[in-house]
Amino acid sequence: MPSAFRLDNVTRRYGALRAVDGVSFEIKKGEQVALIGPSGSGKTTLIRLLNSMLSPDEGPIRVFDSDLATCDAGALRRLRTTLATIPQHLGLVPNLTAIQNVILGQGGSRGTLRSLRDLLAPSRADAVEIHTILDRVGIEEKLYTRVARLSGGQQQRVAIARAIFQHPAALLADEPVSSVDPARARDTVKLLCELSAEHGFTLCVSLHDLALAREFFPRLIGMRKGRIVFDGAPDELGEEDQQALYDLSDEEMMADA
Amino acid sequence: MKAETGKYGLKRWVGLGLIVAFLLCARALGLTPGGLIPPDAGHWERTGEFFAAALDPAFDYEDGNVPDDADPIWWKGIKGVFLTLKFAFGAMSLAVPTALVLGFLGSSAWWPEPCGRRTRVLLRSVYLVSRLFMSVIRSIHELIWALLFLSAMGVSPLAGMIALALPFSGTLGKVFSEIIDEEARDAAQALKAIGHGPVQTFLVGILPRATPNLVSYSFYRFECALRSSAVLGFVGIETIGLYIELSHEEFYYREVWTYLYLLIAMIVVVDLWGAAIRRRLHTSTGGCAI
Repeated sequence: MPSAFRLDNVTRRYGALRAVDGVSFEIKKGEQVALIGPSGSGKTTLIRLLNSMLSPDEGPIRVFDSDLATCDAGALRRLRTTLATIPQHLGLVPNLTAIQNVILGQGGSRGTLRSLRDLLAPSRADAVEIHTILDRVGIEEKLYTRVARLSGGQQQRVAIARAIFQHPAALLADEPVSSVDPARARDTVKLLCELSAEHGFTLCVSLHDLALAREFFPRLIGMRKGRIVFDGAPDELGEEDQQALYDLSDEEMMADA
Repeated sequence: MKAETGKYGLKRWVGLGLIVAFLLCARALGLTPGGLIPPDAGHWERTGEFFAAALDPAFDYEDGNVPDDADPIWWKGIKGVFLTLKFAFGAMSLAVPTALVLGFLGSSAWWPEPCGRRTRVLLRSVYLVSRLFMSVIRSIHELIWALLFLSAMGVSPLAGMIALALPFSGTLGKVFSEIIDEEARDAAQALKAIGHGPVQTFLVGILPRATPNLVSYSFYRFECALRSSAVLGFVGIETIGLYIELSHEEFYYREVWTYLYLLIAMIVVVDLWGAAIRRRLHTSTGGCAI
């Protein structure tokens, strides 16, 4: 199976802090992977490296067939149109409607003028497709509702719909369920995995909640202090691995407090 | 606990420092509470006349030499108010688009990510130059700009409008760039991450995201432009301020109050309108989890 993402000893520093420290792994096309680990372990930085919003200080990153280091700005933008990203705070435009937010999912490949036209008057074909997607994620009646008037869970669905409308080859989601209640979090993660199977895109989701990750993902990558401490199937994750992941040292407790 | 005492201690010192600075300034300027009291009987009389005229504004010209076919004073006043409004509106129509361009150049939320070294240096220079330009044009007051333009272009409405538009572009542009950078960064990042270009990100993500606050602030500045436009009358540009100034020079205080009441009425109406619009904008984005 060809690879979607390949990292080879990748490091990214912020000043003296090594947010991602010598990380290597490969994610195959179509694979579903959960990134797990405590907050501050480097999950967000890793996701931003994968979608090329950050460049690494060391080590090559290959996304599908491109080596990110050799991509110019135009090539990066073309690559990003095939990678959907759902950031932690969703990054929606609250005073636009759901359909306007979703239609921007294809803005990267459509260009500025077409995007402006899409915002003012979406084509019939787009409106029909977006209606179908919103129906699939369960908020079809909110097509013309301003995102600001939607609940947190519904806003999350709009962000997912925007990603689906993009027709991505891979979807990266950064803590997509950090701001909703446990029942809704489970539904959202389940939905993401189902969509990945239906559309055949690679899925990489960073999750705080270990139970959710174990329930839905065939592969977990565990991070701690910027390093990978676990990479395998959920049933391989033993007591010791969990301790290595989540038991805070005194030093970290102090930093957290 | 110790840190908190330290913080309050610092606050106390800053407060004390401000009071001392005020006293030093007052002393340097020779200010005394006695200065509030008019110095002689003539001044007392004039002050009394001025405030008495507030209760008795003119419905007819106090000046006997006004020709019979002249507009009645209230009509002249209303026309003056509309001239003031036109100046403010014209100036804002120039200032808002200018400020949008300056605000775009003076913000960084739309910059490409990751940003190469050369691009970053270039963008940073554009950013600094536009910020500097905005500082310069707003550090000079509209009255001083008006004097400059009037001496260059003569007393023309255009000179007045440009004089008003320049410092307003600077202030609007600075606040626009801050609104753009502070509020719209998350939406901008999300769009850049899925392949939107910098200008595209600005137009379809940042602008819609920031619009309620941009509009709300522009409205507030429109209210300021009205007051400034009235003041431009004092350097000869035909707004209600000019009528106030001319009547005041002749000691026609009752006329002055007629004009002042009309000006106040207009500003109150515009303030109420602006407040209603701000409230609507606020509720349309209120309760948002983003």
